[in-house]
Amino acid sequence: MSPSRIFSSSGLLIVAFLIQESLVTRINFPISGFSFYIAVLIGLISFEDRSGAVVIGFIGGIILDLSPTIDAPFGQWAFVMTLIGFLFATNRESIGNFSSRPMALIALVAAGAMFSMVIFLMISALLGENDGAFSQIVIKVLGNGFWTIIFAPLIIPFLSLFHNASLTSRERR
Amino acid sequence: MAQGGNNRSRLLLVILLVTSLFLITLDLRGISLTSTSRSATQSFLAPVQRSVSNFFSPVNNFFSDIKNFGKTKAQLKDAQAANAKLKAQVIINQDIQGQLTQLRDVLDLAGRGKLSVVSGRVIGRGSTSTFSQTITIDVGSRSGVTKDMSVIANGGLVGAVKSVTSNSAVVLLMSDPTFRVGVRLAKTQSAGVLLGQGDGSYVLQLLDPSGTIKVGQVLVTLGSDNNRPFVPGIPVGRVVAVDKSTASLTQQATVVGLTNLNNVGVVSVITKAAVKNPKDSLIPTPKPTVTVFVTAPPVTSPSGVPTPGQTPSPSPSPSATRSVQ
Repeated sequence: MSPSRIFSSSGLLIVAFLIQESLVTRINFPISGFSFYIAVLIGLISFEDRSGAVVIGFIGGIILDLSPTIDAPFGQWAFVMTLIGFLFATNRESIGNFSSRPMALIALVAAGAMFSMVIFLMISALLGENDGAFSQIVIKVLGNGFWTIIFAPLIIPFLSLFHNASLTSRERR
Repeated sequence: MAQGGNNRSRLLLVILLVTSLFLITLDLRGISLTSTSRSATQSFLAPVQRSVSNFFSPVNNFFSDIKNFGKTKAQLKDAQAANAKLKAQVIINQDIQGQLTQLRDVLDLAGRGKLSVVSGRVIGRGSTSTFSQTITIDVGSRSGVTKDMSVIANGGLVGAVKSVTSNSAVVLLMSDPTFRVGVRLAKTQSAGVLLGQGDGSYVLQLLDPSGTIKVGQVLVTLGSDNNRPFVPGIPVGRVVAVDKSTASLTQQATVVGLTNLNNVGVVSVITKAAVKNPKDSLIPTPKPTVTVFVTAPPVTSPSGVPTPGQTPSPSPSPSATRSVQ
């Protein structure tokens, strides 16, 4: 993964973070809420190889950790997203190429978004944090998965274009 | 070659995981670096949130509007007719109007309690990924807001200030599962603890084993040392159900908040509490409604005898009765 792609991906993630914090959070979604940022991050990870996915996951997690409304220790999302990046890239390699199966990619992005939240909650539980009632958490995680499935078809084509544009000539070969 | 790539990615994974754990450890040990970075982000985000809030406030109700798509034709016609009437009012921004109403009510509450407050608009909410129930308001340390100050809205308590930057503050809502506030049952001295549940309901645990809780009783804040984070006497919620189980040592009850935290648009931060404890004076009282009864005077028939069941004359003598509900 080239340094220029790390910078461009980080820039995209910062923009997604700003959209999430200033616009998406203001929308009252019927079932729980939607984390636009996690969807973009998982989508971005899905186009990367193992090393790229791990790096993007870490950077994305650090940006999410900067959220002023977050109550978890700084670095918790970075830990989760690094792990998710690795797991995602490893499983993607076993599933194969997604270009002919866009629905599989959408399902995997939604599953990745939900799984990242579950890991985050598990770590929170280990650290003794209170994230609310179990039923509320289940609704939140499933609601986020639902909205990710709905919105991922709009986000992923853009991320694909962005990824292709950010590849260096060496990486294209 | 592929093996080398795998090893490299695994090494990278280990390095980044260890870095994350290092950051978590720093945070848990209270190193200020992390809180500084979050407040710096908040300082950067606040102006963006404020601008977006101004431009996209109609987006808030996007999904609730979609729900109303299944209207009948007749309802649609009525709505179109009503829409024509309402066109004249379009100039008035309903969002601002709602905020003004909320502001008036919260200032009224603060005025009754002789509280010094700083009012601000809600410019952001805690996102799904944060798992904490917070709001971001557009007043900060420049306006005199500091950490651990009580935040109220038109109905009563909203939460407490969690973190502050120069121009914004993050408020932990009372619905957050980590939120705890000492409360007192109004008109009694029974004290208890109110626990947030993550939704609109709360659990009251009465500290006094001999105390009794009744449905409909209002809770007010007990107050904290030096009024931080809670000033006394702020209405918090109303008891809707009492737990009759004998398993627990203390009495428990389900409480609903007096403020709808989902719709709160304007809040006030209490910068200085009243010198005198307001006790129960801030509890919302029912608003008086005026009912007008029109009594028709007896209409006389040509023979001079009053006839019952006659249509009242156009100039009745109304007698107004003011009833309090």
